Amino acid sequence: MRIYEILFIIRPDVPEEEIDASIEPLKNVITASGGVVDKVDKWGKRKLAYRVRKHREGYYVLLQFSTEKGSETVKELERRLRVSDTVIKFLTVRIDEELKRLEKLKSRREKRALRKPPPAAVEPPSPGATPQIPAEAAVKE
Amino acid sequence: MAEARRPAGGPRGAAGEKGGTPGAPSGKKQYFRRKKVCRFCVEKIDNINYKEVKLISSFVAERGRIIPRRISGVCTPHQRQLSDAIKKARNIALLPFAAEL
Repeated sequence: MRIYEILFIIRPDVPEEEIDASIEPLKNVITASGGVVDKVDKWGKRKLAYRVRKHREGYYVLLQFSTEKGSETVKELERRLRVSDTVIKFLTVRIDEELKRLEKLKSRREKRALRKPPPAAVEPPSPGATPQIPAEAAVKE
Repeated sequence: MAEARRPAGGPRGAAGEKGGTPGAPSGKKQYFRRKKVCRFCVEKIDNINYKEVKLISSFVAERGRIIPRRISGVCTPHQRQLSDAIKKARNIALLPFAAEL
């Protein structure tokens, strides 16, 4: 089960309904190939660090999904994003290995904490933007 | 030749040894000034994510360049993850490639 996340930027001059209309076909591609959309996070308008296609601001959207047929789904999604005239930039990252590693570290740390009861149990909270595994609740940015 | 071999003592020698590695026993002054620890190891941050711009941007210089390990004190595996995250963030316009001063 491969977990991917795509962060893409939509042109800032596009109205709200069109933004949702741009995201819908992407979700359909994922579900059509048997995948599951984990979360759709809209960050809203943000100032870009550099000019992208003459725009200085953009509307960021984060789409996280898990699927069996990874490469075909991703290829199709990227093709659509490239063709679409509302999306100006996108970045696809595969995160299932990373999530597995984080889970392992967390469980190891919890086991170590159980072995010797610490006098002041201080567990630093994980940063808010950590991608969540599908079973857990969605987290805001 | 002999001088080139032996690292110059004083400020140059001390500045080069911030990583906490044991310095060679030469030079008149103390070899490393202070042991700098990796911020990620101390705070136990596992996930250096490209989306956390505030955390990432503290390791980026004014001009947008990545701060080297010997100055920031980050350990090697974390520095590699950090530079990966910075490059991803640059690609998606969260960080600049080259910033105006």
